[in-house]
Amino acid sequence: MAKIRRLRTTKPPPEGWDLIEGTLEEFENKMREAESDTHEGKRRVESIWPIFKIHHQKSRFIYDLYYKRKAISKELYEYCLNQKIADKALIAKWKKQGFENLCCLRCIQVKDTNFGTNCICRVPRDKLEEGKTVVECVHCGCRGCSG
Amino acid sequence: MAMSKGTSHYNRQVWEDSEFPILCETCLGDNPYLRMMKDKFGSECKICQRPFTTFRWCPGQKMRYKKTEICQTCARAKNVCQTCLLDLVYGLPVQVRDSVLNVKQDMPKNDINREFYNQNLDKAVREADASETWGPYKAQPPSDVLAKLARNSPYYKRNRAHICSFWVKGECKRGEECPYRHEKPTDPDDPLSDQNIKDRYYGSNDPVAEKMLKRIADMPRPIPPEDKSITTVYVGNIGENITEKQLKDHFYQFGEIRSINIVQKQNCAFITYTTRQGAEAAISKSFQKLVINGQKLVIRWGKSQAKRGTVTQEERGVPLEPVPGLPPPDYFNLSAIPSLIQPIIPSTSSSTSGTGIHYPSQDPNRMGSFGLKLPSYNKN
Repeated sequence: MAKIRRLRTTKPPPEGWDLIEGTLEEFENKMREAESDTHEGKRRVESIWPIFKIHHQKSRFIYDLYYKRKAISKELYEYCLNQKIADKALIAKWKKQGFENLCCLRCIQVKDTNFGTNCICRVPRDKLEEGKTVVECVHCGCRGCSG
Repeated sequence: MAMSKGTSHYNRQVWEDSEFPILCETCLGDNPYLRMMKDKFGSECKICQRPFTTFRWCPGQKMRYKKTEICQTCARAKNVCQTCLLDLVYGLPVQVRDSVLNVKQDMPKNDINREFYNQNLDKAVREADASETWGPYKAQPPSDVLAKLARNSPYYKRNRAHICSFWVKGECKRGEECPYRHEKPTDPDDPLSDQNIKDRYYGSNDPVAEKMLKRIADMPRPIPPEDKSITTVYVGNIGENITEKQLKDHFYQFGEIRSINIVQKQNCAFITYTTRQGAEAAISKSFQKLVINGQKLVIRWGKSQAKRGTVTQEERGVPLEPVPGLPPPDYFNLSAIPSLIQPIIPSTSSSTSGTGIHYPSQDPNRMGSFGLKLPSYNKN
């Protein structure tokens, strides 16, 4: 069992931590596994996709607990953000219309692309050109996170 | 570049910076709205090894990204596309074009010589008008042979993705998503599969060009008949609306015309020149390229007078009225006697009674002379 990495703090975690600790540990284990996974037989871009995926899932878990199910307190939510268990910037995007399911922040970084565009996974499926139905974006392997 | 701009050392490299690539229609793809990436001094020219500004773009859906491969100086020197190295006018390989147009451009192969040559070339090309072709290709009249070999429309298949090498080995795991083509590669023994960019550019042992040159050699061409008296040009597929004037308007330029004979039923016409030169010029200039009223006319040599006479008689099918005053055909019933063509003369004594001779003038012994080959003479 890997320990959940926490920033050094004197304060004990807020109430309800025991409830989410198990799931977070599981995510942590998966992340370790993905980090040490072999890259052989994979494309160069493909090897970091699982990292992005687990990172997304972990942030999503905290986001859902606080905003959708309202199962955790504000203190615990903020504690998770401060401890960088959930990605603050990514969650900030999820609150905006049209970005509810955003896969990663790299996919909306227009300055990184040749023509100043978003990633292919940001294109709604019905707006995609014909014959391009199956796509995996090179950044995080997302198959479409916009409609 | 360590040298100052002022020095004019012959081997100073010129790094080429350009605003727009020189490309052919096929390489640009079917979409008129194109996004291109420009990379200043992005790579070295594959011919002269000097840095040049590369352009990269996607020529349409399901196509692979293409980029410019040779610098603009090299491209303009040969009047070729920067990417596919095919001629800009006809879209044909350099070797085909040069051998048909009889153009020779000797480029030095030696390093130092080539650098000097490139420097001069660069200057010459830069000073030339950018809107027209450069050098020996500028003054060339349009070639019919090349126009015939060239494609009528852009060949976008050339821009398709490459064949998936993993799929060829049976290892491709991407399946449907694979951006490369899952197709059987061409036969490696095929000479066409062994091409390289320098051979294509310099126009030497290019397998594609060899194939095309063979096609030129196999092209049909009019064979002038042995009989030098034939001065008639056959024009076929003339259509119904053609007039004698239209034919005359085209054919008078090659020489004096004796007669124009339009045979509407046969959908053809015969143009007879007064001279053989006229007919030869007419056929060589208009063979397989004459179009009147939007119809492509078939040009051939006329058949010899005797042959054509019988043919037209048969083809006509309608018996003609006999000319008054002339005996009807075969009046003497000569065709019934098979020996007419080669008279067999049996002997001097039987010459008058023999079946082989019908006129006194045909009897070689009539005037008292003896044929050398006569068996009776030899006997005596």
